[in-house]
Amino acid sequence: MFKTNSFIPKSFWVLLFFCSAVSFGQSNYRNFNEQTNALKRLQSNHPEAKLQSLTKTVGGYDIWALTLSSGDPQDHPAIAIVGGIDGSLLLSTEMAITMAEDILKNHSEVLENTTFYIFPNMSPNASEQYFKDLKYEHKGNAKSTDDDRDGAFDEDPFEDLNKDGLITLIRVEDVTGDYVKSKEDDRIMVKADAADGELGNYKVFSEGIDNDKDGKYNEDGPGGIMFNKNFSFNFPYFKPGAGEHPVSEKEHRALLDFLYQQWNLYAIISLGPENNLSSPLKFNREGASKRVVTSILKNDAKLNAYVSKQYNKINTAKDAPSAMAKGGGFFEWSYFHFGRLALSTPGWWPAKFKGDSTVKAHKNVKANYLQFANQNDLSNVFVDWTKIDHPDFPNKTVEVGGISPFVMQNPSYDKVAELSKTHTDFILEVAKLQPNISIENIAIEGVNNELTRITVDVHNNGFLPTHTDMGKRSRWLRKIKIELSLNKNQTLISGKKIDLIDAIDGDSSKQFTWLVQGSGNVTLKAGTSHTGTDSKTITLK
Amino acid sequence: MLVMILPLAVQAQKQEDIFRAAGSPHNPKVQIAFNKYYTAEGLAALSKKIADAYPNLVKRQSIGKSTEGRDIWMLAITNYKVGDADRKPGFYIDGNIHSNEIQGGEISTYTAWYLTENFEDIDYITDMLNERVFYIVPTINPDARNNYMKEANTGSSPRAGMIALDDDRDGLFDEDGLEDLDGDGSVTRMRRKNPNGNMIVDPKDPRMMIEIGPDDVVTGQRYEFLGSEGIDNDGDGLVNEDRPGYYDPNRDWGWKWQPDYVQRGAYKYPFSAPETRAVADFVLSHPNIAGAQSYHNSGGMILRGPGAEEDLSTYNRADIAIYDAIGKKGEEMMPGYRYMVVYKDLYSVFGGELDWFYGGRGIYTFTNEIFSSFAYYKTKERDRNQMYKFEKDLLMGDAFSEWKPYDHPTYGEIEIGGFRKNIGRATPGFMLEEELHRNMAFTFYHAHHMPRLTISDVKEKKLNGGLTEITAYINNDRMMPTHASQDLKYNISRPDYISINGAKVISGMLVNNEDFGVTTEQVNTPEKIKVANIPGNNVTKVRWIIKGSSWNTITVDSEKGGMANYSKK
Repeated sequence: MFKTNSFIPKSFWVLLFFCSAVSFGQSNYRNFNEQTNALKRLQSNHPEAKLQSLTKTVGGYDIWALTLSSGDPQDHPAIAIVGGIDGSLLLSTEMAITMAEDILKNHSEVLENTTFYIFPNMSPNASEQYFKDLKYEHKGNAKSTDDDRDGAFDEDPFEDLNKDGLITLIRVEDVTGDYVKSKEDDRIMVKADAADGELGNYKVFSEGIDNDKDGKYNEDGPGGIMFNKNFSFNFPYFKPGAGEHPVSEKEHRALLDFLYQQWNLYAIISLGPENNLSSPLKFNREGASKRVVTSILKNDAKLNAYVSKQYNKINTAKDAPSAMAKGGGFFEWSYFHFGRLALSTPGWWPAKFKGDSTVKAHKNVKANYLQFANQNDLSNVFVDWTKIDHPDFPNKTVEVGGISPFVMQNPSYDKVAELSKTHTDFILEVAKLQPNISIENIAIEGVNNELTRITVDVHNNGFLPTHTDMGKRSRWLRKIKIELSLNKNQTLISGKKIDLIDAIDGDSSKQFTWLVQGSGNVTLKAGTSHTGTDSKTITLK
Repeated sequence: MLVMILPLAVQAQKQEDIFRAAGSPHNPKVQIAFNKYYTAEGLAALSKKIADAYPNLVKRQSIGKSTEGRDIWMLAITNYKVGDADRKPGFYIDGNIHSNEIQGGEISTYTAWYLTENFEDIDYITDMLNERVFYIVPTINPDARNNYMKEANTGSSPRAGMIALDDDRDGLFDEDGLEDLDGDGSVTRMRRKNPNGNMIVDPKDPRMMIEIGPDDVVTGQRYEFLGSEGIDNDGDGLVNEDRPGYYDPNRDWGWKWQPDYVQRGAYKYPFSAPETRAVADFVLSHPNIAGAQSYHNSGGMILRGPGAEEDLSTYNRADIAIYDAIGKKGEEMMPGYRYMVVYKDLYSVFGGELDWFYGGRGIYTFTNEIFSSFAYYKTKERDRNQMYKFEKDLLMGDAFSEWKPYDHPTYGEIEIGGFRKNIGRATPGFMLEEELHRNMAFTFYHAHHMPRLTISDVKEKKLNGGLTEITAYINNDRMMPTHASQDLKYNISRPDYISINGAKVISGMLVNNEDFGVTTEQVNTPEKIKVANIPGNNVTKVRWIIKGSSWNTITVDSEKGGMANYSKK
């Protein structure tokens, strides 16, 4: 496509192609191959970027891990960024890749202090459904599962009854049904409100037929196990998409095996459906004091509140829906089972239609979304109800219609660049907060000409404590090690050669003192993988 | 040369010179001494001998590799000439999940040996192998079994597998383990003379130490204990604080798993240790497993779940009745053993093997804690010093290292001595075979009561319009249902299928009450009736209305209950 001039390095063209493809030319979400190409280009253009495949999923997709670091990644405290936690959140993968690019191009100085481990797409099989001829919000991997646990596998998939390439809903006129058209917007189907004297007159199902004649519609389609339902915190046993036991899938094991080896990790940012950034998790005393802890711990709730405040300064979008996983979620794992500073955001949500003097805002989320779409001239967000012949309902009025898949979870592609920049800015703020151990106020006193007394403050210069309260409990965060190394002619009279301490709060210190006999230099080292390590050489008096 | 001579010596024993002892294989093809323990390689060699001697009864297969790359050997034992092996109700047995709890390896081997050597000799065993399949994994922890036997250990170490972990969170892995300083093959205890110590040597038995009371007037040498043999390898002022491991493979199972800070011993996530993962994958791919047994030591216990108090609601009355019946039979069969519930009689614990087998797979499962102090003098009366007495009077002093001086790098002049690692938990040799046999017999009782399905009768009745009503009676004459109530609650196993072949089926139904004609029709695929469960000691009835009167066979197909057929006579 490009004519290569001999004096222009090839990488220039690669770069130009990259910029045009990603920042300017791209008009729609990138499929898995395009994601892979973008990641490979980042690696070839930036020495700070290293791309590796953690595993290949059952569906044959690589699970990519992109490490951004200056020098040895383990030398700096690290943040992990995880996208594709929910396969229908296409934005998350785009953001993860674009943020990586932004850091490498515009903020590479942060890599002098912080390492980033970026996993752009943990649900490649699911997200590819967006690029297929038949679009529906798929969340599972490619493993064949018996979602309804009836002994048959994948026997009742969706069917595109109106041949529009989208899976929406069917509604069947039937007095035994318990749905009605919403009073706010008659395109939206809602459960009849008995308290309001409503009587149901529709049945509503997802678009398809009852292939296995069990009375349920599309309850066991192809695949699979959902990434965000297969983790060990509050695992939803025997629920569709959960898997037979926690962490049963290759991509789950590969990610966790990798994370468990990165002792420098102090924060995990999930780009997923859960959101503890727009509004922080609340401390619950009862949940926090049980053996199986179900509430964020008290001090961690304070941290969450502070970080959330920073997030809302940078991302000014309001009215974020609150959403917590119904068990087996990755975000919950990253806090409750991994003890890291755990942050999660979907990155985007449809703005709420507020209403004005002529139009009242609808309360129903979907009806409100349609008002928002109307206000913003969004097209193709709703498939108008049209009559079809349905084999399961031979003499009834059946219509297909509803909100298009993906549109409520993902913004139009032109919003991606700005959203990515906002979130890069936020992550750079998180990096500024990171724990940072240094040795300060070194005092060296001669005692009676024979001994030297060394006194230092081991200081955490970061805003964040070295360990979350949960992290203090976890064996997967190292303690802070203070080690005084002596040579053969030096003797420790008082103090510990090796001291392990649980944690140091943000902007706080702990004092240590030693009495040493002998002369020459001793070396003092303090810190651990996720806090940074400081080392000082001290000359004995 | 010795190797050559030994088998000849065994063969030299003529059959006519042997008088049959009841209950033991009297002319075994494979000779195994059951008064000793075997390493991982030793067990692997024995299982190979059994498999080689009985190719029609044993298939030996590696279900995975251990951390250090050893095969985890499994023997699938059944009569391969009858039926489809993996469709028979399966009974799973393993041992040695805890490294130092070794008897399970020998019980498993004894069970495999006993089944094969008695097939077609004892009807009970012949029937068992015709109708059931046993999946026996003598050690699911071969690396650490060897570590226990070959390296510096006490009777209680190691418990973990061999994945290195940083126990003291100092950034180093397994840097300060135990040492066998005196070279006696065991890690015993260290003591030091100390005028302020709280112990003295028992004047009547120099092996024993007596604690001094507050009012005692002591004239003899006082001592202090300094813990298990070892040194401070990493210079952090602590001795033996980061040993091989530590994680507990029996906190690694995927039912209500909790992380280490909730459940000490948990590793990264359920089945993150390769050995437990191998077992889980094997069990998940063998839905015919209906009963299971794991072997630990010690304490003389027959344990069932729940492991955790928080999991109490998983076990309901119908299943507890079955557990109780088998467990109480076990108490009779194994004197000194008590039937207990883990969370209330032992400790409340998450992530155990028996909980995943039952909670996650709906498999009735027991864990036996082999050996207790009852065995020393066959009495429940406990004497604090009975182990010393037993060691002297019945082991002739074979299990105690006398106290001897040692120059310790930190503690200076100390003494090292105490019971060696092969007493206290591991059954002494002369009592071992009995212990293996009784535990095996208990698992046979359990395996006997897995569901056994037959179509006991088929009745035909002519109806008007050229139709025939066919009623099939499916008999389960054992205690367990095809679906434990936990299984039924979550549809862990698929429904049982009862099908009629070679008929024009008009309608199919489950018969709820034959006398009053109450039935539940199945509209779709009426030729293949789906039954949620076939209860134990019960008859399940299904009925078809067919056009004409011709049909060929009726089959029952149950994941945990196996297959049954009935052909039109």
